[in-house]
Amino acid sequence: MANLDERTRAWQERVERSLEQRPERKERFVNGSDIPIQRLYTPRDGVQTEEEYLEKLGFPGEYPYTRGIQPTMYRGRHWTMRQYAGFGSAEQTNQRFRYLLEQGQTGLSTAFDLPTQIGYDADHPMARGEVGKVGVSISSLADMQTLLQGIPLDRVSTSMTINAPASILLAMYLVVAEQQGVPWDKVSGTIQNDILKEYAARGTYIFPPKPSMRLITDIFEFCSKEVPHWNTISISGYHIREAGSTAVQEVAFTLSNAIAYVQAAIDKGLEVDEFAPRLSFFFNAHNDFFEEIAKFRAARRMWAKIMRDRFGAKSPRAQQLRFHTQTAGSTLTAQQPDNNVVRVTVQAMAAILGGTQSLHTNARDEALALPTEESARLALRTQQILAYESGLTDTVDPLGGSYYVEALTDAIEEAAWKYINYIDQLGGAVAAIEQGYIQQEIRRAAYDTQMAIERGDQVVVGVNRFTVEQERQPELLRVDPNIGRVQAERLAKLRAERAQEPVREALADLRAAAEGTANLMPKIIQAVRVYATLGEICDTLRQVFGEYRPAVF
Amino acid sequence: MQQIRVLIAKPGLDGHDRGALVIAQGLRDQGMEVIYTGLRQTPEQIVDTAIQEDVSCIGLSSLSGAHMELFPEVVRVLRERQADDILVIGGGVIPEADIPALQAAGIAMVFTPGTRIEDVASFIRSHVRLRDLADVPPVEPVAKQVDHIGIAVRSIAEALPFYTRHLGLTVDHDEIIPDQKVRAVFVRAGDLHLELLEPTSPDSPIAQFLDKRGPGLHHVAYRVDDIDRALEALKEAGVRLIDERPRPGGLGKRIAFIHPKEAHGVLTEYCQRTGEAAE
Repeated sequence: MANLDERTRAWQERVERSLEQRPERKERFVNGSDIPIQRLYTPRDGVQTEEEYLEKLGFPGEYPYTRGIQPTMYRGRHWTMRQYAGFGSAEQTNQRFRYLLEQGQTGLSTAFDLPTQIGYDADHPMARGEVGKVGVSISSLADMQTLLQGIPLDRVSTSMTINAPASILLAMYLVVAEQQGVPWDKVSGTIQNDILKEYAARGTYIFPPKPSMRLITDIFEFCSKEVPHWNTISISGYHIREAGSTAVQEVAFTLSNAIAYVQAAIDKGLEVDEFAPRLSFFFNAHNDFFEEIAKFRAARRMWAKIMRDRFGAKSPRAQQLRFHTQTAGSTLTAQQPDNNVVRVTVQAMAAILGGTQSLHTNARDEALALPTEESARLALRTQQILAYESGLTDTVDPLGGSYYVEALTDAIEEAAWKYINYIDQLGGAVAAIEQGYIQQEIRRAAYDTQMAIERGDQVVVGVNRFTVEQERQPELLRVDPNIGRVQAERLAKLRAERAQEPVREALADLRAAAEGTANLMPKIIQAVRVYATLGEICDTLRQVFGEYRPAVF
Repeated sequence: MQQIRVLIAKPGLDGHDRGALVIAQGLRDQGMEVIYTGLRQTPEQIVDTAIQEDVSCIGLSSLSGAHMELFPEVVRVLRERQADDILVIGGGVIPEADIPALQAAGIAMVFTPGTRIEDVASFIRSHVRLRDLADVPPVEPVAKQVDHIGIAVRSIAEALPFYTRHLGLTVDHDEIIPDQKVRAVFVRAGDLHLELLEPTSPDSPIAQFLDKRGPGLHHVAYRVDDIDRALEALKEAGVRLIDERPRPGGLGKRIAFIHPKEAHGVLTEYCQRTGEAAE
């Protein structure tokens, strides 16, 4: 290969000489994670020997899963097309769900409104102005029954973006399944259930970290016995990235959080090979195409190592990083919203080439409001075109072996390990969040990005370059402003009509269990079954656990 | 100048605070003092903090669609607490169509995604500035009211009929002021006088004024109670004066001129009425 090195050197020299006449666009090329990008990658970069190939890449479906977790990937089956939806009342969202299923969507993904996510009933004073806005309002089992009306829970898998009160929404879902006659070992779906990133980036926490971790591990334990096909957590880098982190930080902070969950479950006495196969991940697909692809591949390889070497997991399922991807909401612009369709397409391609298990493509109008039905359909069509027309899916990991992609995968992994090791030194993810370390890192990266955009170093088409004078205003979805009142009335009726004694009993039982150490899931299911509301259940737990109050850093 | 204090607030339950945090840091870098409320604030809490922290501006951020209910509520509570001189601005995912209603409700400006921090800062600066300046209480109210407005004319005989015949005003007084080498005719217009000034000599300051700028508005005179003290105060504050000590003016008043540069191009006079002319 001496010849290669010589020719490479000669080429470099020739190029350097020509730069005086024809300089490059920038002095230095770096990506968003501050990784320098070379002018050219050659066989000297990335994977070089057969040994290295076997160690770093291996084969799809085999450790370390860099090339994908299934042997045939999308030749076998496409990713699940799972569009996040939900707004207004349970009836409205049920209609949108049915519409999406009719359009060929293959799984559901539920957005809840903020009161639901923070454990307030729709008539709570803190819920003012927020009911039904960013998702569907669910205050009791009755709302969940309406939401899932006519949807066969043995055939459709449902993802629920719910964290602090995840146990309660899961309980409602299970009771509805039971009422549909579907046994729990036939239902499948995901709850987000990732509280650590709520403290760090997303903000819908209720309880302090310790009881929150208990609620999570209770779910792990309960589901591994009772609901074996349920993904008990979706450890999310998505919101960390949306809050402004770099790609490297997204991987590092997400895996650090994941390590904390696994450790907590092991400390509780759970067997890693039993609960870990149900852990899943959720990542962002951002603009830098190759950086994103490399990020997904690096994350997969790192997780396999963590599970095998750090936690001694033996089951392949426990070593595989399965993930959902959503395109990056923060890259969408309110200006010239149709441009967003193109951004989403590029991001979705990165997710597919990165080997995602399911995908949400954002709608073009999301920087302005929740998507209209028309723009939600276009977003789904984008995935379908990529799946059925583009040929991206005909071979496994098409970019494997690319000098650049492999070098970048290595670089991202290396930089992410540095963060993970540092967080370990701080005492793990929980300690790092309590000390504000992760929040500050994200904040700094977010500010750097904003400044780069304001200086014009980072171009955002339609915002700081290529702008137009008159923006055409698209049609937007309006959530019925009366929804808060309607929900409040419905709730008052429910509270008046239900049998009160069983509610009192169930809540007292729950309280006693929360004060002790028993698994809370069965108690929560019982409370849900007798129509105790979400707010009542959360209040019971608030009385025992207290509420999280973030320090302002 | 004093640092502008700004409260960045997250009303409602929305947890998206990337924008709020970036704006907070950006305004700090623009030299402002910024307090961030953290998440989940009720309108009442936001107003409480704003008053306690004595801010001149509140920046509200919401991405959850609750802005139509929560932003106007903040303004309402500010009014209730008589603190509605605080500038309120908003930002977030807010449809264009909602902006007029928010502005009508008292949100001075709504910044949508893609706004530069510099633009937010300059908006805040230009809109709280007036309030800050008006806010500085004078040690005591000095200028009681406009006493008269001086108008330079080449000939009183030619100028006066406009005021008497057409405006229907009456002449109160007519005198020669030797100190200024002018003839001054005082025309009453409600509570104040118009003082028509005609030079009595080519080296009169009014003659020079007429040569340079032609006839027209010459000066605005404010009535003060104690002209010596008032001048002393201006001198201490570094305000440029034409007359460091009062001199005799028309109607027996003691007068002094302040440099026109200080009033952005308006020659300004202080005058104190003495016993003989006091009404």
